[in-house]
Amino acid sequence: MALADPIAAGIASGWNVTDAATLSGHTDLEADVVVIGTGAGGGTTAEILSGRGLKVIMVEEGRLYHQKDFNMDELKSYSNLYQEGMSRATKDGAIAVLQGRCVGGSTTVNWTSSFRTPDETLNYWSEQFGLEQLKPESMKFWFDNRMERHSMAPWQMPPNANNDVLRQGCDKLGWSWGVIPRNVKGCWNLGYCGVGCPTNAKQGALLTTVPGALENGAQLIHGLRADRLQWREDRIESLQASAFKADGYTPSGASVTLRAKHFVVAASAIGSPGLLLRSELPDPHERLGKRSFIHPVNATIARMPERVDPYYGAPQSIYSDQFNFANGVDGAVGFKMEVPPLHPAMAAGVLPGHGEQQATDMANLPRLQSVLALLRDGFHPDSPGGTVELREDGSPVLDYPMTDYLWNGVREAYLAMAELQFAAGAEAVKLAHMDARWHQSWKDTREEINRLPMALHKVRLFTAHQMGGCGMGSDPRTSVVDGNGLHHQIRNLSVHDASAFPTSIGANPQLSVYALSARQSTRLAEKLTA
Amino acid sequence: MMDRRSFLKAGLGGTLLLGTVSLGAGLSGCDAQPAGERPDLASSDGAGYRFGFLTDADIVMFQALVPAVIAPALTQKERLPAVTAQTIRDIDAGILRFSTATRKEIRQLFDLLTFGPSRLAMTRIWSWENASQADTAAFLERWRTSRFGLFNKGYIAITKLTNVAFYGNAANFALSGYPGPPPWATAALPQFQTETL
Repeated sequence: MALADPIAAGIASGWNVTDAATLSGHTDLEADVVVIGTGAGGGTTAEILSGRGLKVIMVEEGRLYHQKDFNMDELKSYSNLYQEGMSRATKDGAIAVLQGRCVGGSTTVNWTSSFRTPDETLNYWSEQFGLEQLKPESMKFWFDNRMERHSMAPWQMPPNANNDVLRQGCDKLGWSWGVIPRNVKGCWNLGYCGVGCPTNAKQGALLTTVPGALENGAQLIHGLRADRLQWREDRIESLQASAFKADGYTPSGASVTLRAKHFVVAASAIGSPGLLLRSELPDPHERLGKRSFIHPVNATIARMPERVDPYYGAPQSIYSDQFNFANGVDGAVGFKMEVPPLHPAMAAGVLPGHGEQQATDMANLPRLQSVLALLRDGFHPDSPGGTVELREDGSPVLDYPMTDYLWNGVREAYLAMAELQFAAGAEAVKLAHMDARWHQSWKDTREEINRLPMALHKVRLFTAHQMGGCGMGSDPRTSVVDGNGLHHQIRNLSVHDASAFPTSIGANPQLSVYALSARQSTRLAEKLTA
Repeated sequence: MMDRRSFLKAGLGGTLLLGTVSLGAGLSGCDAQPAGERPDLASSDGAGYRFGFLTDADIVMFQALVPAVIAPALTQKERLPAVTAQTIRDIDAGILRFSTATRKEIRQLFDLLTFGPSRLAMTRIWSWENASQADTAAFLERWRTSRFGLFNKGYIAITKLTNVAFYGNAANFALSGYPGPPPWATAALPQFQTETL
């Protein structure tokens, strides 16, 4: 498999793939369903709907990159495969936003962690948002179904040294840990998932559902940005889109109008609310763009006595939920602990510094290890989430305020991660925090954690999981779409991505998106073919 | 070196300037254009590069900032001029992929840092052209440890752009001990084979 590029072969076999950079002037297109976005949600939707005989057009803002482009090069990949050339951040610039911008969306660049939505989360949605139809017993079928579609299974090989520190630390402290299921087939255990899988092992949308849809006769147009949904009364009439040149970011001037019976938006939790806001869709209760969640991430760095080689091997294979639901689903904020890979540019970006200190820290990269915490936001009144809004040029930006409730979680997570790294044998630990120093004992580190300001631009914060903004719910006064993903006010519009989540997930969200999208798409197909 | 009180005052003044300096620089027309071709910063392999974002004034600034961030990491000091030029080219190429809004924000920051009065008030650097590495490092340290989030943010922007461009470049992998992609994998994968015609 690794030596044959299925995308190149598919294109050669006659798939209907259009590079929007080749368009000029204005083009009119028509389909049964237009799917906007080709990530976890859009790919799934396109494959299922086209499999029912519906004519589907997939619209993707990013370009089609595949094996020939995946050269394990950080700089090229960050520029080409990530939103805003990896510079996307929240409105105040304090939280870096890692998000894919290519065919396959974030599933092309994610670290392959594949968790079911926790039961606690689904039960909370049922109780708080009237989503009884998504309770764990109903969703089990869809998780099983999608785990099979994406070849998800607990990682069979031993964890790399980076992940093994998390396992050892948990063992020493009596904390729970588990092996992460990954969506890979014939994985070479290289460690380059984040820059586009070079061996075609990762079973993201790029190599599963998007090819599946193309095999079913769907059309893919990439390098085409969805600008605006034109609507009248309670129906979308068309999508107005504009093309980029082959560089992927310069507008070419070419435009496309797409008409369809139904439109599915799956452009991510920043892109989907952005498109709906630009389109000025009815929003009588002002819910659009609200309750945006990100699993705020903070991290600690350990210097280990032996080589860790944190750039090699499956990037995520061990997790700990010791503190995820420790305070109940809606108490003090819970967090899931995992490990990030550290390639040189990524490592230098996580902990910016200068001069001698930076040179010494970076020279130690082979012995560095890092743990991160994903804060489970959105389950408490003091965690109402952020807001997606439009900049002057119409592009979406996420305003995400950090509340004291979340800062407490950041501090608790620093404490847990540093304690864990020392328990696993770290020589020294440093927080990813602008004022932090290396400390050689847990006691000194703990004192520093309790002393340092938990503040914007001090704590290095990240998010790789954007959720909400077009939240689901049974009550139109508190949600944008219903439990089947259908827009409350517009009849022929669905939202099938992480933007529909009413809270964060409490785990890496790709399987939650695949499963929810599969469920909604199957229902939508029944409705459209009835 | 000024004491904290005077720095805080300068810092606040600088913050107030932030909104006006771009306008001022724009009106006076100073260095508003990207630098375009700069033969003096071309790579030794002869491949041309056109600067699409950084202005001549920005480049003078980065010729001071880049060494202050990365020079201590270089084991072969004679590489510094070439590495600095390469890093500045990669910074420019990286910024070109940022969104219009982010580029605008970076433009504001760089205008602030290159426009005489605001540069002096905020960085205490009289001229980037003559700034010593120690002066530049001292400025970076002040912004890193500042109590003002805006300066921390500026520090993160400068060092992140520089560090990512520097450590992400294959020529510098050895300085972080990163061996690069495993040779056994690149030997086996088709996308790494040079095509033979």
